[in-house]
Amino acid sequence: MNPSIRRLGAILVLLGSLVPALAAEAKLMITMMPKAKGNAYFISCKAGADKAARELGVELLFDGPTDSNAAKQNEIVENWITLGVDVITVAAENKEGISTALRKAQKQGIKVITYDADALPDVRSFFVNQATPQGIAYGLLDEAARLMGGEGEFAIITATLTAGNQREWLKHMDVRLAEKYPKMKLVAVRPSDDLKDKAQSEATALMSANPNLKLLMAICTPGTPGAAEAVKQAGKTGKVKVIGLGLPNENKRYVHEGVTESVMLWNTEDLGYLTVCAAVALAKDEIKLGATSITAGALGTFEIKGDNILLGKPYIFNQANIDRFDF
Amino acid sequence: MNRYFREISVTIALGLILLAMAVLAPGFFQPQPLLSLVTREAPTLVVACGMALIIISRQIDISVGSQFSVCSICAGLLAARGWPLGLVVPAAAAIGALLGACNGMLVAGLRLPSIVVTLATMVILRQGLNLVQQGAFVNLPDSVQWFGLSQAAGQWTLVGLALALLLVFGLAMRRVAAGRWVYAVGTDAEAARLAGIRAQLVTFMVFVLMGTLAGIAATMNIVQSPQVQPAVGSGLELKVIAAVVVGGVAISGGRGNVWGAFAGLLLLACVSPALTHLHIEAYWEKTIQGAIILLAVVAEGLRQRKSKGGRE
Repeated sequence: MNPSIRRLGAILVLLGSLVPALAAEAKLMITMMPKAKGNAYFISCKAGADKAARELGVELLFDGPTDSNAAKQNEIVENWITLGVDVITVAAENKEGISTALRKAQKQGIKVITYDADALPDVRSFFVNQATPQGIAYGLLDEAARLMGGEGEFAIITATLTAGNQREWLKHMDVRLAEKYPKMKLVAVRPSDDLKDKAQSEATALMSANPNLKLLMAICTPGTPGAAEAVKQAGKTGKVKVIGLGLPNENKRYVHEGVTESVMLWNTEDLGYLTVCAAVALAKDEIKLGATSITAGALGTFEIKGDNILLGKPYIFNQANIDRFDF
Repeated sequence: MNRYFREISVTIALGLILLAMAVLAPGFFQPQPLLSLVTREAPTLVVACGMALIIISRQIDISVGSQFSVCSICAGLLAARGWPLGLVVPAAAAIGALLGACNGMLVAGLRLPSIVVTLATMVILRQGLNLVQQGAFVNLPDSVQWFGLSQAAGQWTLVGLALALLLVFGLAMRRVAAGRWVYAVGTDAEAARLAGIRAQLVTFMVFVLMGTLAGIAATMNIVQSPQVQPAVGSGLELKVIAAVVVGGVAISGGRGNVWGAFAGLLLLACVSPALTHLHIEAYWEKTIQGAIILLAVVAEGLRQRKSKGGRE
């Protein structure tokens, strides 16, 4: 036999034996898509996701549209399918829009997880759910009770009286009020039309109409700074406490001035961290539908309800920690 | 019947509500909350003055809320870059004037119906702003708030400014030729043209004025709090149109004045705090405001029928 052919054969055998070894060495490739790449909220998610990827030794690809754009999200998913990644995680801009592309990914054997905003249930294995209605309602009410010492009058500023999610929160709060805080009295629920300026006027009137008011709770994000500005202008800082849902950057000023006691949302870093952990567990077949819990590294164990992985209780931003978050 | 019947009846209705509040919930009249609430309406009054002129000239501008938003965010961004307020206010007014000129050009120049033109610009401006700003608040430097004055001084300045503009327009519409041209164009554009009034120019200028006032009002709004929400001013167009109509300005043009618009604005604006003080559920707020508008329109219809009947 020609020595050169023999040599070539040896090389081929050598190479062939290397392939499985290389494959075993290849890291899992996890992708994460935000609604918009430059959005500080998702940048904070990415910080948590990066941390989880480092700890678990997987590769994380973070890419998304520069502005919230459903069509662009599809394009990126298509690219990821071509690339042959292991798991795709997506915060869906449009539920139906993204689902066709994700279905295609699943057909190619790519696992799919949604986080922050869900797609259609049949195109993903799990949704990492950042907040349940009950979690938000109880979280806000418990924080109000803590600040009010469990008794006295408080009022709520909502977006509109007909908003589905807010009505559901109010329903949960009514239940918990009757059960746990009988001495607390909800004196009024006022709509703000999701406008900070209207929230401010409503809060002003609420304070003058209810002189014993101890706390204002805003359950829409523009309402929180609006209520805080009203309290500040009324010179009632500390006397009427403000809490509410919101983003840290919109409320930092009032939190530092002591007008707003606490701002509630979820911990976005934890959301990113948990999403990557769930993606890795799914790729390694460690979680299946029907599982009731998942362990996520340093954060501990999280509950799984059906196909929802629950991030759990909302996160409270206050004077001590609000500067750590930039979104 | 008295020619100021509509204005007078709105003022009486306002007086009755205030009287009822004095009896039922005197807490309504605490000075600080009342001043805060009135100050919040000061920019709205300025926009309502412009809208009164627009409707008197037989046009409509439903893009004012979007103009207000764009001017607010532009003014906020300039102030955040360190521009002094002395420059921010004229800049916002100029941006508003430009937006108004676009509407004016399409309506007066191309003779397109103003409701369609301003519907389009309303959507374009609002969505453009969403695209650029992505919902993010603009944080303002401390020096902007209350023009750098104390809170009370700032509030009185804003209220004074709004009332001064009201006074200027109230007088100018009666005493200055340009003011009377607006009525003439609104009553009968063709007759106005034959009388030597450049009707299209008047219409154009009214839209420019509307934009300018929206820009001034926007800066009067941003000085009231340390941050600007990009959604600011959404729904403003309906609020001011309602105020103007309730105040006796005929939607068919040619009739009404800014004083009526002022009374109409106060009447509609006091509904929400009055309900809060009477501990009535918020569901009633929009219902009552709607009823007030309907009542005003019915009164207007009756008045027109009566005046026609008188002529026959």
